[in-house]
Amino acid sequence: MPSSPSAHQILDRNGSPTSDRPWIFRTYAGHTNVHASNQLYKQNMEAGQTGLSIAFDLPTQCGYDADHPLAKSEVGKVGVPIHSLDDMHTLFDAIPLEQTNTSMTINGTSMWLLALYIALAQERGVSVSSLRGTTQNDIVKEYLARGTYLFPPDAHFRIIAEMYEYCLLHLPQWNAANICSYHLQEAGATPAQEVAFALSTAIGVLDLLRQRRQIPENDFGQVVERISFFVNSGIRFVEEICKMRAFAELWDEITLSRYHVQDPQHRRFRYGVQVNSLGLTEQQPENNAWRILIEALGVTLSRKARCRALQLPAWNEALSLPRPWDQQWSLRLQQILAYETDLLEYPDIFDGSPVIQSKTDAIKAEAQKEIEQILGIGGVHAAIQSGYMKSALVRSMAARISRIQRGEQIVVGVNRWTETLPSPLMSDQDSGLFRVDPLAANETLALLKQTRLQRSPEKVQSALRSLQEAARNGQNMMPASIQCALARVTTGEWADALRGVFGEYRAATGIEGQTLSLEEDRRRPLQDRVHALTERLGHRPRMLVGKPGLDGHSNGAEIIAVTARHLGFDVIYAGIRLSPDDIVQSAIEESADIIGLSILSGSHIEITQQIMEGLRDAGAADAIPVVMGGILPQQDHPILRSLGVRALFTPADGDLLAIFDTILHLLEASSPEPPTTHADRTEQE
Amino acid sequence: MHTHPSTYDTERLIQGAWQHDKWSIARLISLFEDTRPHAAQYRHDVLSALQTNTQARCAAFIGLTGTPGAGKSSLIAALLPRLLAHPSHLHIAVLAIDPSSPLTGGAVLGDRIRVRLPSKEKRCFFRSQSSDQDLGGLSRKTFQVCRLLYWLFDLVLIETVGIGQSEVSIRHAADRVYLLLSPLAGDEIQFIKAGIMEIPDAFVLHKADAPAANATYHTLQATLGLLRPPQAPSPALYRTSIHTQEGLDALAAEITAYRPPPLHASMHQREAYAFQRWLLDEYGQQALRCLSAQQTNPTAYLRTQPSFEHAQLAFDAQFWSWAASSCVSHNDTNASHTPTHPSASLPPRTSEPPR
Ligand code: B12
Ligand SMILES: Nc1nc2c(ncn2[C@@H]2O[C@H](COP(=O)(O)OP(=O)(O)OP(=O)(O)O)[C@@H](O)[C@H]2O)c(=O)[nH]1
Ligand SMILES: [Mg+2]
Repeated sequence: MPSSPSAHQILDRNGSPTSDRPWIFRTYAGHTNVHASNQLYKQNMEAGQTGLSIAFDLPTQCGYDADHPLAKSEVGKVGVPIHSLDDMHTLFDAIPLEQTNTSMTINGTSMWLLALYIALAQERGVSVSSLRGTTQNDIVKEYLARGTYLFPPDAHFRIIAEMYEYCLLHLPQWNAANICSYHLQEAGATPAQEVAFALSTAIGVLDLLRQRRQIPENDFGQVVERISFFVNSGIRFVEEICKMRAFAELWDEITLSRYHVQDPQHRRFRYGVQVNSLGLTEQQPENNAWRILIEALGVTLSRKARCRALQLPAWNEALSLPRPWDQQWSLRLQQILAYETDLLEYPDIFDGSPVIQSKTDAIKAEAQKEIEQILGIGGVHAAIQSGYMKSALVRSMAARISRIQRGEQIVVGVNRWTETLPSPLMSDQDSGLFRVDPLAANETLALLKQTRLQRSPEKVQSALRSLQEAARNGQNMMPASIQCALARVTTGEWADALRGVFGEYRAATGIEGQTLSLEEDRRRPLQDRVHALTERLGHRPRMLVGKPGLDGHSNGAEIIAVTARHLGFDVIYAGIRLSPDDIVQSAIEESADIIGLSILSGSHIEITQQIMEGLRDAGAADAIPVVMGGILPQQDHPILRSLGVRALFTPADGDLLAIFDTILHLLEASSPEPPTTHADRTEQE
Repeated sequence: MHTHPSTYDTERLIQGAWQHDKWSIARLISLFEDTRPHAAQYRHDVLSALQTNTQARCAAFIGLTGTPGAGKSSLIAALLPRLLAHPSHLHIAVLAIDPSSPLTGGAVLGDRIRVRLPSKEKRCFFRSQSSDQDLGGLSRKTFQVCRLLYWLFDLVLIETVGIGQSEVSIRHAADRVYLLLSPLAGDEIQFIKAGIMEIPDAFVLHKADAPAANATYHTLQATLGLLRPPQAPSPALYRTSIHTQEGLDALAAEITAYRPPPLHASMHQREAYAFQRWLLDEYGQQALRCLSAQQTNPTAYLRTQPSFEHAQLAFDAQFWSWAASSCVSHNDTNASHTPTHPSASLPPRTSEPPR
């Protein structure tokens, strides 16, 4: 018999003291092309990483082939490009599918990537039912924060439901979707909003599944168990611990009361985490290492609310994609936490703490109110269409930025303790930056061509026809998608076939009616200058804020648009994912006085070239100044300037009023005093 | 480099506009929105040149109004390809008006988001306008820009947020006005009963895909039937949806078949209305008193002048002397500043505007 148990011990089945197994260590990775990414995965697994987390490039996520005009400049930039089953064979070369837990950050084209993965298993002779992993597949947060949707909400909801229904029968260990609140916090959500929006999304999915009646009553608990979450963890880590507990308690309550799931095992709140990146700064970037550590504590300290899997950003998050060494540094943090410390030896160390319980209850109450609000509107589906949820996020983001601007929320190195010695981390030969080889896209294009040449066009056409038929007839589209995969259909072809049936969509921007609260004494003079400029121009200055390419990072553009309106500009902003041609045409038709581009996807040089060319063709190149903000590495600034960009801003330019001071100077310099009399006028000429 | 020339190379811009060059058209629109005094002469020049051109298209103005979010932009987006496909090869402009912030004056011009135009389509031009504090309604700029678009396009669609007064102002800007209603729009039906009925020429029950559409449709039809004057036919009531495509072909067909009244009727009425509004905005009720002291009224006064611009400048010139002689203090007028058109006559044209 083991000695009598102590409260500080975890006991195994036999009653002996034991310790927990660590969570899964993940590194979100993928870039350049399938070969380079395959190398990277094998390396990471050798370094002790226990799961695979695949980052896809934006064309793959948005359903375009690499030779599509919208895709051209984005191939392989922020993830791996995948067109066809041929690419999958290379990407997973020498990686045993049956032993790997594969997490794919894929949403708009989730069904296609799962079909490719299944087809890969089939061709390799691996049993499909043994496949383990996750397709992210949360479309709500795509409309709200991340931007890689293809179709109107109805179609995407149907796809999600069909994937659940298919997986239940054929891939019992696959998480068809992963409800994400991570991205919501990155777009400004408060803890209560994060909890409420994510749980409302889960309710939206489960309600739909129940309503479709494809899942037998008895299996519903199993489906509920397969709902997992992907959550954020911010710098206020005590609050984050409470948020996680609130999440778990609410999920238990909802699944019991709304769906009558009896088995407590099925009601467990299972979640993976990526810690907050929004708060990682370009200024004094080494400080980010500490932030990442503290944020990791928020989701590991409390055993009851410990994550299943964790991925960490790197110290140079606000500068560029991480280099392999940066990723290793972050992975080591997890290993030290799990293996050097005694963290995993104890039961929950917060149980019984009145402080933690009270804070948890407060978050729960606030979240519950918000959930009721959303359900009252008609659920997530209606709350997306009406723009309610998006506006709520933009509002929270504006409030956050206002607090930082006014110094109420301290960010070390940004609004306090800004003096610094030069950082040795940045003086490396590559300045601490990762660069994708611009020629690497050529290999992807060549592979695409090869696939198209080698396949049977008849088989491709007939597979695509069956897919469209299934889409029209309301049949599950999974089997037809797998047939497409086996026939070597490409990503763009699969997506186009369904666009033909479902149509396309543009989501609400959420900026209407939003304001900031900026320091009055600094804001006034700028408003006065806008007023003076209005008199000089004969109209309010018109600013076109543009998000060209497939980049879904909208925070910066939204904040700039809201600030501009707040200062008295007329602002034209039509949301994300516009082609350079769209942007040029809008600027021309609207007689914009200034174009402000926001690009965080790494494609700034190619896109700037296209936009400048468009303006030249329209005869307006010298007439409309272009400024730009986003992730713009210092080395690229001379190139961008030589292309004609008049001012450049990066995350380090956090002071919105300083940004607009520069913009107003530009406009003032290029607009002469208006002549008031005839004499004045002739003089000017 | 002059980004915003205080002068306009009107000849070149007009030439470009006839070739459907978007930048030229955009610059001309800016001229018609320009609030600086010297812009009036350029407008006058442009209009004189356009009027005599045989290419003039003499647009029909179609107004679409309705509460925020009624689906006006989406409906326009769905109509555009149908209107562009019409065999007579129509040239179409859209003028979308958004409310300005009453606090800062700035506006978010967000209608473009719903309208994905075929890129580089020369027959289609989309322009947004802020309402200049006129919550959702039409601004003075709208009237000005319409004077320009009249010559360059076959069809001008004007989108404006309808909240009370602005339905009235669109009546003066458009030849034909459609009021968009949404399913379950109980309040709006009350509105119709309260007399707004006379404003639109036709009603559109949009979002007809919504479950409540049928009931609303019948309620509307009944209400409109009851309110029509005896013997008059009920006004047209369309049902449209961008999701089911219902009613879109029919509405597009009606719009393309519509023939506006001849210019001399409609434009003169519009100018008279715009002139009166300008007087009130600029000088308040005193302006009307000033005119009646001369035994005239806005419409008649306008007719004595060679053009709208001349009328504005002439009135500017005489108002302050009249005010001084009749002891009106500045506080009695709306004008808190010196008049915007200070010189007595149109400034003479410079020989060659700079490039
Ligand atoms: C928040 C965030 C997200 C959110 C975006 C939420 C949203 N709706 O915006 C989420 C979680 C969805 C996200 C997703 C992705 N992200 Co991200 N993300 C970030 C992060 C952490 C912060 C960006 C941000 O919002 N900052 C706050 C805003 C206010 O700042 P800002 O945009 O820099 O704007 C300021 C200035 O730059 C300037 N400015 C910006 N634009 C403009 C425009 C004008 C006109 C003017 C005058 C000024 C101006 O003024 C602003 C005020 O200070 C950055 C890293 C970082 N810390 O910067 C990565 C980062 C941008 N993301 C990155 C990547 C790769 C992705 C993904 C593509 C990953 C993937 N493979 O799937 C996805 C996909 C997104 C997509 N569809 O494009 C990379 C980009 C790498 C690159 N360029 O080489 C970064 C740099 C992280 C990294 N190191 O890897 N992301
Ligand atoms: N169900 C349904 N929704 C529609 C339809 N048309 C538009 N909508 C939705 O209504 C919302 C508002 O559409 P907009 O076209 O922006 O409406 P608007 O009247 O131009 O709005 P404002 O310009 O802001 O006043 C969007 O979410 C559209 O998707 C329709 O036919 N059916
Ligand atoms: Mg609109």
